[in-house]
Amino acid sequence: MSEQIVVVGFGPVAARLIDELLPAVRSGLARLTVIGEEADAAYNRVLVADLGVGRTTAAALALSDAAALIADGVDVRLGVRVRRVDRARQQVVLTDGTTPHYDRLVFATGSRPVIPNLTGLNPDPAHPVLPAGVTALRDLRDAEALRAAVSGGKRVVVLGGGVLGLETALAAAEEGATVTVVHNGPHPLGRNIDRGGGAVLAANLRNCGVRMAGNARSTGLEHNAPDGGFSALLLDDGSAIDGDLLVLSCGVRPRVELAEGCGLSTATGILVDHKLRAHHEPHIFAIGDCAEVRCPDPSCSECRTARGPSGLVGPGWRQAEWLAEYLTLLAEGSAEAAAEGAGEAGSAEAANSLPELPMEKPGVIVLKARGLNMAVAGDNAAEPWDDEVLTAGAVDGRPRLQIAQWADPEHGRYVKMTTRGGVLEGLVAVGMPRSAAELVSLFERGDELPADRSLLLRLDGPDQLAAAANTDPARTVCRCAGVSGTKIADAVADGCSTVAEVSGATRAGTGCGGCHSDIKDIIEKHFQAATAA
Amino acid sequence: MTTSADTHCPYCALQCAMTLKSPAALTPAVQPGSDPVPAPSAPSVTAPAGPVLEVSGRDFPTNRGGLCRKGWTSASLLSHPGRVTEPMLKGSDGVHRPVSWDDALKLVTAAVKDTRARYGADAVGVFGGGGLTNEKAYMLGKFARLALGTSRIDYNGRFCMSSAAAAGMRAFGVDRGLPFPLADLDGASTILMLGSNVAETMPPFVQHLQGARDAGGLIVVDPRRSATAAFTSDGGGLHLQPLPGTDLALLLGLSHVVIHEGLADTEFIQARTSGFEALARSVNAFWPERVQSLTGVPADLIRETARRLAHGATKGGSYILTGRGVEQHVDGTDTATAAINLSLLLGLPGSARSGYGTLTGQGNGQGGREHGQKADQLPGYRKITDPAARAHVAGVWGVPESLIPGPGLPAVQLLKSLGQPDGVRCLFVHASNIAVASPDANAVIAGLRSLDFLVVCDFFVSETAAEADLILPVLQWAEEEGTLTNLEGRVLRRRRALQPPAGARSELWIMARLAEALDAPSTYSEDPETVFEELRLASAGGLADYSGIDYAMLDRGEAAYWPYPVGSTGTPRLFLDGFAHADGKAVMTPVAPRRRRTPVPNPDQDAKSMTLITGRLLEHYQSGSQTRRVSELLESQPEAKMQIHPAAAASMGITDGAFVSVANERGEVLCRAELSTAIRPETVFLPFHFPELESANRLTEAATDPISGMPEFKFNKVWVRAAANGLQHSVLQASEAS
Repeated sequence: MSEQIVVVGFGPVAARLIDELLPAVRSGLARLTVIGEEADAAYNRVLVADLGVGRTTAAALALSDAAALIADGVDVRLGVRVRRVDRARQQVVLTDGTTPHYDRLVFATGSRPVIPNLTGLNPDPAHPVLPAGVTALRDLRDAEALRAAVSGGKRVVVLGGGVLGLETALAAAEEGATVTVVHNGPHPLGRNIDRGGGAVLAANLRNCGVRMAGNARSTGLEHNAPDGGFSALLLDDGSAIDGDLLVLSCGVRPRVELAEGCGLSTATGILVDHKLRAHHEPHIFAIGDCAEVRCPDPSCSECRTARGPSGLVGPGWRQAEWLAEYLTLLAEGSAEAAAEGAGEAGSAEAANSLPELPMEKPGVIVLKARGLNMAVAGDNAAEPWDDEVLTAGAVDGRPRLQIAQWADPEHGRYVKMTTRGGVLEGLVAVGMPRSAAELVSLFERGDELPADRSLLLRLDGPDQLAAAANTDPARTVCRCAGVSGTKIADAVADGCSTVAEVSGATRAGTGCGGCHSDIKDIIEKHFQAATAA
Repeated sequence: MTTSADTHCPYCALQCAMTLKSPAALTPAVQPGSDPVPAPSAPSVTAPAGPVLEVSGRDFPTNRGGLCRKGWTSASLLSHPGRVTEPMLKGSDGVHRPVSWDDALKLVTAAVKDTRARYGADAVGVFGGGGLTNEKAYMLGKFARLALGTSRIDYNGRFCMSSAAAAGMRAFGVDRGLPFPLADLDGASTILMLGSNVAETMPPFVQHLQGARDAGGLIVVDPRRSATAAFTSDGGGLHLQPLPGTDLALLLGLSHVVIHEGLADTEFIQARTSGFEALARSVNAFWPERVQSLTGVPADLIRETARRLAHGATKGGSYILTGRGVEQHVDGTDTATAAINLSLLLGLPGSARSGYGTLTGQGNGQGGREHGQKADQLPGYRKITDPAARAHVAGVWGVPESLIPGPGLPAVQLLKSLGQPDGVRCLFVHASNIAVASPDANAVIAGLRSLDFLVVCDFFVSETAAEADLILPVLQWAEEEGTLTNLEGRVLRRRRALQPPAGARSELWIMARLAEALDAPSTYSEDPETVFEELRLASAGGLADYSGIDYAMLDRGEAAYWPYPVGSTGTPRLFLDGFAHADGKAVMTPVAPRRRRTPVPNPDQDAKSMTLITGRLLEHYQSGSQTRRVSELLESQPEAKMQIHPAAAASMGITDGAFVSVANERGEVLCRAELSTAIRPETVFLPFHFPELESANRLTEAATDPISGMPEFKFNKVWVRAAANGLQHSVLQASEAS
């Protein structure tokens, strides 16, 4: 009687969903089948670049253990793909010829790298076969290719100035490769960052040893390596950037073809409502990179402004946790309905009362790198001196946008806070780790910033680390026994000349002993004054 | 009468060694009085000049002669005029008046019999404390189960140590706060302290951090720049300031770095632990930049902390210590587990110069959690559900095993059941001030008032005693003999320095008399040493085995660390040869942060939603029932002050020293604000030592950790606003009501 759940895809988001569904599987409430096309169970794709530069191990990347899942009763099928979904029969048709049935089907097919249309690259978007010396850095094999280039001190060309490209470039450069980043526009990260932040970021990247080729349009690849592999990236100005390995980092595109093939609505991703259900199909769900939350209700204000899939793993994990709870409640409902002989309609009450997952805020991008700290989030396009910022009054009762900005390009530091009513709508922080951490958490909580914005800059100052020296003689010197400097000075004036004597007379220094040097100072000062006199 | 006694401080688990001397020809100044005892809200009546005993610090490995202000001034309470020296019965007018011991004991006996007859044995409850000696804690468990026949016994240690204890049991198979002598810390080059402010709570402890500070390796995790965190400045180490409630994510981030950067001690993991693969998978999702976004701690600080710990583990030694700041959460057991997992990845436990420990708080918080005051436990840290444990203890007690009730309710559930149908109707309270120290204190006070009969054993009219039908006066530390077990698991002797007031009695005497009146099976000695001899037998073979320890040995000054089976020499360092699980291995349990419930929306437009954390001040101990009666301490810290960041205060028009209202759906606190840049801007801090309008625990939630039963003390949503008008209003109401 238990529900059959089938998960298509076995990446980080699917792994989270499966982990959260395990209690229901163990209790017999649900049966779970997971289908992964790679030979490995889920691993942490976010860290593939780290693996590629030798900073972590493949073993440490594992997020799931197929054997453990099988022991828990999960039907794990690796190295097999879904050929199509038969919605009429509620079954998936696999490349190995089997056709598992589903009561609930979850697409967690993720995304695939965008392969740019360049001469010398095979542009088949669904099944790209990349030439030798070219990688899109998506899976464990791609990491191997990068690993070989980095450990050989080779020249790496990164095409794309997005966050993943920058992370790869920084890590590879730090580990000894010669790295060039080729990107559109005047600075990396495109529209995610503003001009000032982008300029400081680019300067910092150069300081980290990464060559930056901005405002570049690539047109094709040259394959003159001894093995016939990649040797140079050609640009439209006729120049070429030589390299031994080309890393394509041109963004990702949701994998929606299976969903499209079975007639589900898609836009950028598979369209799902606020319960992560495919439109007009209560048996099918989608989460993670492949899902686009946009409900069929045209009047829904949240969905009108919704962006497509974020490409970040955090929102996918939150969806996975929510969906696991929802599917568990649905399975409980079905089990109860079956026990009572009632129809399915009346059984979803508990599941339907589960509060919907709140819409995600625009994604926060935190650069994963050792030598360079950067965080950006939200919309950072407005500048402090923009006409509308300066002149527009409150619009529709909303406070107007305000910008606070601080730039120190010489030292590689830059902060910009875009706020409305004191709450962040956008942030940029480069070279300011504490400020970045604080701003990101303020952004995610939607909390109001302190009116004195400079407070957020000073978090990275040394004055925040050491308590300012207090020279008030009446201050408490010994906190443990509560003895003031005045009292100690009096004891010294009365004849105490060692810490032990002061302790005996006043109890100062009799607790943790942390003030012994302060007591010594007071004694020394007294006798210095006496000598001077 | 003794004129000098070597004993230990009455307060915290550091149990600083002290010597008490009576000035010649001085006799106790306490006179039994017939006047009503002063109301607890006015403890400003303090001791007359010149306490009856002189206190001096005594050299000992833990405190090295040092004491803090609490210890120095402790003797002033012995002659305090507010001391209860006769049993006090509450009249129908609500005023407590003296009654004779005979009448008092008859009343209690009748109340117990009546409650049992009407509602069953489990309608009688016992609430103990971590300040009781081992002998009293042991006897309280026995008394509850045999003389009262109830399963409903638990204690205030549930609010302190239960999460770390549960985590220690799960990982190591045994829980001893520090599984190594405290002085071992001296040689360490790296010490990571999570949620512990020893500079305020146990100042002489700080001496043991000096080595790490000199090496630049003291790393303090605290949302506040506490006095302890301040020790990391000037090259002493690092201060990590995470958002409240995110300690678990921070620890997972540290473990992530250890695994991914190859810093783990693979040999140790292979040989001495199980569960590594699942743990590695579970921390995979917590890379430093993601943890930075969750906690507000910069990724580079997370990496540096992990590297320093790993470096220390190979050179000098690394220790990881947790305190209430990370444990007093609904995920406290998992957070302590994450700290233990990190220590296991680095191979710290089981090494002679590295380790993991939790800093026990209350005076006998260690011994108090070993000998049967816990709802689920029998003496020797035995499980009450384990048939072999039941049989052993029944044998020592000379009763059939079936007479020992099963597990009861942990503290928060026990308190929630007060006065409820099928709940506790008659309650005994020992060494606890639950009206101030329990979460959701308003609800607890309402529960106390709904009881049929409340007996409180105390030497002052604490806020809980004020609610009692009957107050039974008991002894203070300098008036009794016994043993305590300090934060290192070392058993210490408490010695009598002077005669108690004529009307005060030991709890052992009270339990013996009541057991007699209730025709209880087994024996109930009132002599501490006799009780200890029985405890030795009852603990023999248990995890906390005291069977090889006796008073004579302790009196010779021998360092007795449990487990100390007969014929052994004790165990200063646990885990050197193996962990206490059957296969000798430590268990790594994967843990993950849980989603928090959505807080109740703020109904007050003038107030700002903030996060409340609670904690301690150097000058006060626990509910403050004792330290608020010491004039020197009270003058120094006379009232609760809400610590708030100046930037947050400015946005609400709150100035330093101004009155503020801190409220949520459970209650309201009215107190002064103290502006400080040592706290994060979205967080406020309140000490919990104060009662009534200043009682922080009116705001804390009685939500508990699913494993340990630990309540959420350190992460509560509150609504803060300036309160000049509100305060006047409330004060008027309060004075009209009184």
